Amino acid sequence: MPEIHVVRKDNRHLYAEYFDPYFRLRHEIYVKQRKWMDLDRPDGREIDQFDTEDAVYLFCIDNGQLIGAMRALPTLLPTLISDIFPYLNIRGPIRRPDVYELSRIFVIPERRGEHAGPRVEMLLLTAIMEYGISVGLTGFTIVLESWWLPRFERCSWKAHPLGLPQMIDGMSVLAVLVDCDDTTWKSLCSQIGLTRPTLIWRGLAGVNRLALPDISIPLPPSAQLAR
Amino acid sequence: MQALEPYWGRQALDFVDAIEASKTTASVISQFERMIGRLGFHAYIMAGIPTSGQSLKQLTVANGWPAEWFELYNRENLSSIDPVPRHCFRTLNPFEWKDAPYDREHDQPAHRVMTRARDFRFHEGFCIPIHYDDATGAISIAGEHPYLDPETKSALHLMSVFTHGRLRALSRPNPVTSGRRLSDIEAEVLRWAARGKTAWETSQILHISERNIRWHLEEAQRKLMTKNKTATVATALVNREIVL
Repeated sequence: MPEIHVVRKDNRHLYAEYFDPYFRLRHEIYVKQRKWMDLDRPDGREIDQFDTEDAVYLFCIDNGQLIGAMRALPTLLPTLISDIFPYLNIRGPIRRPDVYELSRIFVIPERRGEHAGPRVEMLLLTAIMEYGISVGLTGFTIVLESWWLPRFERCSWKAHPLGLPQMIDGMSVLAVLVDCDDTTWKSLCSQIGLTRPTLIWRGLAGVNRLALPDISIPLPPSAQLAR
Repeated sequence: MQALEPYWGRQALDFVDAIEASKTTASVISQFERMIGRLGFHAYIMAGIPTSGQSLKQLTVANGWPAEWFELYNRENLSSIDPVPRHCFRTLNPFEWKDAPYDREHDQPAHRVMTRARDFRFHEGFCIPIHYDDATGAISIAGEHPYLDPETKSALHLMSVFTHGRLRALSRPNPVTSGRRLSDIEAEVLRWAARGKTAWETSQILHISERNIRWHLEEAQRKLMTKNKTATVATALVNREIVL
């Protein structure tokens, strides 16, 4: 099964070799495939103003290859919603230590929609909840394409809209606040059959982590009686 | 990029907050019907789009169509020729019925559906496709002279998707407390295995590839921590994750 690594400023040096492929993958996916031309840079790397040392990354690594990733930005600092898409949020600015903003969530095309083992995209969605619970977050803001909403609902991510969907470059997009809580994480774990935490915190022993809830899956009452 | 006037935006957010707090299907549906009524719509449906061998009735999440139209639509299997559901497979974004393309000269059946819909005062409609990995559905809303300006459509889009999600959430058993671990499709595949069907036979019955069936079986096996198909079926039966 692929591994999901937490990468932050305190352990970034351990993942130095992954950053160049990471930014090239982002260019491949967001500029070449999805044609977000505002992000185009001549060096073939997609790096924006939010890739600062305060950004937290989840790297999904399989046999030494980066196959997916996600970025989380503190909402106390500038984010996509605050600086680029403020009109997507009509509930009022969210600047809170316990809320991070997710962006650049991707899985490389050849590893999307896999059926053998948990899907990489589901693993990432589960892993970010584990991260949030561990460091005491209560929510994530995200700008996403609207057609993702039913998928979030199906995998039990609870999304609260911050404003109306709007057409941006021919695609309906909206901003949401997603709950980060034990229930969501446990439900995701049971859906994809995880029985223990997945995150790897290499070089982050100094980070104070909160306890995760127990995810051993209870058997239904009938099965317990039969024992 | 112009920001929209926030009136309908705020209405839509208040609406979503209210249905998220509602505990019953009936209350969510009555709020939705009242809201779309204010926007000039008098009929709607939320359903999966049937593929061969499935019926619309099985896939319906909420039915706010006139009974007569729903009957007609089912009886004559109109979803197979209606250009509106057909267009859902080709777009991720919501669209107005009039923008669902079909060949007006040569596609007579499609044209007939659109014309017959008018008998039910469906003069204009708005459709929101719902895309999952293994299925496509739609929320389709119709009226005589509904509001269809960009702001209203955007609000309607948001409210409809959240209503659909809330209705699904209310009708689903809680996987954490019920101890259920299998997805719907995994359970379905196991039910057929329990009846002695091979992966190939199940693939024919469910109209999905044999490879997919094998994947679902493997996933179920992994989740139940069993060694082979027989043990997976037995465990699922004992745990009541499937019932025959």
